[in-house]
Amino acid sequence: MEQILLKHTHTGQCLSFDEYRSVGGFDALATALREMTPVEVQQQVIDSGLRGRGGAGFPTGKKWSFVPRDLPGPRYLICNSDEMEPGTYKDRVLLERNPHILVEGMALACYALGVHHAFIFVRHGYEQAAINLRAAIAAAHRSGFLGDNILGSDFSLELDVHQSAGRYICGEETALINALEGKRANPRVKPPFPAIKGLWEQPTVVNNVETLANIPAIITGGPLWWKGTAATPEAAGTKLFCVSGHVANTECFELPLGITLGEIIDGPCGGMRPGSSFKACIPGGASTPYMTGAHRDVPMDFDPVAKAGSRLGTGGIIVFDHTTCMVAATLNLTRFYVRESCGWCTPCREGLPFVAHTLERIETGRGTDRDIEILREHVKMLNYAFCALAPGAMGPVEGLLRLFGDELEAHVSGKKCPFGK
Amino acid sequence: MPKIIIDSIPIDVPQGTNVLEAARSIGITIPHFCWHPALGKAGACRACAVKMLDGPIRGIQMSCMLPAQDGMVVSTTDDEAVAMRRAVIEWLMINHPHDCPVCDEGGECQLQDFTIAGGHGIRRFDGLKRTHVNQYLGDCIEHEMNRCIQCYRCVRFYQEYAGGTDFGVMGRSGMVYFGRQQDGPLESPFSGNLAEICPTGVFTVKTARFRARYWDYDMAPSICPGCSLGCNTVPMARYRELLKVTARRNDAVNGWFICDRGRFSNTPVNAANRPRQPQIDGEAVSMEAALNALRERLTDFTARHGSSALAIVGSPRMSQEAAIMAARLRDVTGAGYLCYSYDPETAQATAEAVALLNKDNAASQENVRQADLIALLACDPLNEAPMMALAIRQAWRNGAKVYHVAEKPVCNALHQLYETVYVSSIGEIPFKEAHAPVLVCGTNRKGLDLVRPVMNEGIKTAFIMDGPNSFGTSLLARELGAVSFGEALTSGKIKGIIALEADLPSDLPPELSVLAAADWLRTPLIELAGIVLPVTSWVEMDGIFINNEGRAQSFKQVMKSGLPIKGLTPEQHPPRIHRHDPPGGDMPPSWKMVSALVQLLGGNQDDDTSFRDQWREFETPDAAHNRIMSYERNPKQ
Repeated sequence: MEQILLKHTHTGQCLSFDEYRSVGGFDALATALREMTPVEVQQQVIDSGLRGRGGAGFPTGKKWSFVPRDLPGPRYLICNSDEMEPGTYKDRVLLERNPHILVEGMALACYALGVHHAFIFVRHGYEQAAINLRAAIAAAHRSGFLGDNILGSDFSLELDVHQSAGRYICGEETALINALEGKRANPRVKPPFPAIKGLWEQPTVVNNVETLANIPAIITGGPLWWKGTAATPEAAGTKLFCVSGHVANTECFELPLGITLGEIIDGPCGGMRPGSSFKACIPGGASTPYMTGAHRDVPMDFDPVAKAGSRLGTGGIIVFDHTTCMVAATLNLTRFYVRESCGWCTPCREGLPFVAHTLERIETGRGTDRDIEILREHVKMLNYAFCALAPGAMGPVEGLLRLFGDELEAHVSGKKCPFGK
Repeated sequence: MPKIIIDSIPIDVPQGTNVLEAARSIGITIPHFCWHPALGKAGACRACAVKMLDGPIRGIQMSCMLPAQDGMVVSTTDDEAVAMRRAVIEWLMINHPHDCPVCDEGGECQLQDFTIAGGHGIRRFDGLKRTHVNQYLGDCIEHEMNRCIQCYRCVRFYQEYAGGTDFGVMGRSGMVYFGRQQDGPLESPFSGNLAEICPTGVFTVKTARFRARYWDYDMAPSICPGCSLGCNTVPMARYRELLKVTARRNDAVNGWFICDRGRFSNTPVNAANRPRQPQIDGEAVSMEAALNALRERLTDFTARHGSSALAIVGSPRMSQEAAIMAARLRDVTGAGYLCYSYDPETAQATAEAVALLNKDNAASQENVRQADLIALLACDPLNEAPMMALAIRQAWRNGAKVYHVAEKPVCNALHQLYETVYVSSIGEIPFKEAHAPVLVCGTNRKGLDLVRPVMNEGIKTAFIMDGPNSFGTSLLARELGAVSFGEALTSGKIKGIIALEADLPSDLPPELSVLAAADWLRTPLIELAGIVLPVTSWVEMDGIFINNEGRAQSFKQVMKSGLPIKGLTPEQHPPRIHRHDPPGGDMPPSWKMVSALVQLLGGNQDDDTSFRDQWREFETPDAAHNRIMSYERNPKQ
């Protein structure tokens, strides 16, 4: 299995700048600046089929193409490193082991987009990542890979690290932009999309860490090679899967996109913990509906997982064994979203606490059929919230209703949690 | 002009109209909280859900967020849309207290109306309600955060529309808090609008707290007498006490809002020491007796000093009717002077400003809001006419440049409503580059010297004058040969005055006798006057003010004059003898009082009808007076 992002990081230490250079780091940037036009770089990204690794899976090259090329005035690139999705820690692993690959990826993206000032929005608490990034940026500066007239070209770039004050909603790109501007982190009205009016009203692209970190490999190895590192013809590239829960090995693995769920759990994860059997998992961070044993053969790629009723999301897999009460698990996840709602729109601010309250009633044996009906209503109505937070929060609830209806019924009819929780 | 169909009704709406406004225009009110015509869309409350059946966008959508586009077919009654709106109300009512019976907003509460409209009735949530600690926000606005439905209107108005910095939104998720960093009076001079813009009872007006329900109030369309802008208001009174003043929408003038100075203007009207009793040398008498005594004293005065030593003194705060009657009094007494103002420079500048203005170059507040360049000349809008500053801020928010001709920056750090470019001469302002430049000019010598050459180029101008009827009295002054009192005084010939709502300093020359003073405020002249003639305040009568742009606006009687019931002793209330007038209510409007005096002195039989006849000429703009730009006689409420 080809490794792209974590290839040189197996010491567990943070790669130094010189080590990164010695394994071909910044060659892609040098090549691009020497031999390629910005449009060609963008075309390579389009050809590679790279889809955003932050959760939504939007084609990266297509996102870039929305930025008007001929508009005067500055434009910006923001690296979204506000990794707050429960169960997700892939960006952290990457930044703590190889921040240089992000710096190079961002430099390439900025070259493609005509950006001269880019920002890395780092999650509150990712202290080591921020330290590594600042050091990596300084080192790149010293070696002429950042700053004015990079490698003698007429391309100049400054990178800035911004450490978030810390809220989940800052991961939503427009809320992130507001936070970066020093405003309250509420999502903005779309349209206009950030590609047209983003940071300080200028065209802005917001990309995930992992997305940007893949770009050097696309330039060096070529889009076709890069695409071919996936497990299926439809998938493109590799993916960082970070696994937690009741498996033997909870780690961040770089695996081909399209590998099946069963292969991940039985392969690198080393199967379930002794005495545990697989019951369900969250495939890509807390806002994705559950997958069960029936989904073990689903290729972990954006479209197949969507077809299976869930979302690939961030690739943050949380595995639950047979002792897990799914109502309790869902309640736990919902409480996170209740707390992290920005409070802007009614469905999210008031609807989510209602859902949590209802789940709590069911979990504590006070639930009735009406409570299940309330959950069903909310799964529908919370889709009409202002941003994707509330619909995302209802992912697990929707999964609970669809896949674990019998467990809900057992709570209601038995007037207690059958798992004795 | 997009053509859309709402609930099977086809309509054409102007480009940029959203679906919610389009529906309103045909009488379909879609519930909404965060959307406000002056603040625009926010998409926060999600209450205005409709279903798009056909067209470029389908499914459940928020009607405030959706600009009408050709081919849209909208249903407001679709089951799914109704269910969504009901769900929103249910969510809001999870935490909204059930305190309507003791809430001041009850009866004028948008949340009440839309809860009933939304169809949510049975509470399913059995948890606790969220509670907050309230703040002290000053003596005018009461804070009750538990009622908050987080529509974000208050903070959008306070910070974005009005430029306030001391009030905002804090917290997140279900604990969003709208308030200040710590207790303290709201600093914005527009803070009172919070009470009106809040769709429920988070902000209520302290002066009216627990005093009346909406349907209990005496109210009528009125005009604010606070400055020369003529903002439209609805004063609200009960039991002869003016409890609060609310803004009345007039898109050309004040838009949706008024300033705090105009809003919290009820104290003098209700003041216990207001002159309510006609007096002769301190003795309480009837109005008839007082007027007879004044006639006798006038005869005496004329015999001793000659009638030319008499001055009839009014002010720019008197209604146009009273100002006209003052001139009749001058005629019938043969008084040597008629004055509508005190300061000679202001009078001269106002006269010049009125002469310069015409229908094409007078700028309304709306013209200011729509301007792309604003030049401030010798004025301080925030202090002299706060709503003008708010209008300038709206233009600035839309990209207008604001220039101020001043030697050194005039800066009020607390309330910086717009960024100002200071220039040392008016020649530096690039008027030529602007499409809709507006001058805002103080009515003083410096301002007029600056403005005259530029106005000749046809640039719209708003003068900030010194009283609600400065324009009207200045027009009359020119026509009737009135002079400023300061000017009249320098002649040294004046021996006595009759003051009609006049604002003169208390250190008048000792040889000057104040024969009579008519007023509703306890001015220094009331103390000096031999005969005190109490008259009604603007909320107790009909009248007309002509504002700074020459817009004649009528105001209607809001309440009966008389002592407020609150504060009456058991001897005074409940009444024990039958009477037509409430106690302390024996007072006419000043024009009517003067009219009676004119009759008594042998003048024309001026009754209501003949007096009103004279007003016909104002009804057509550009009639006899040629300067009155418009006349709004029957304001819509």
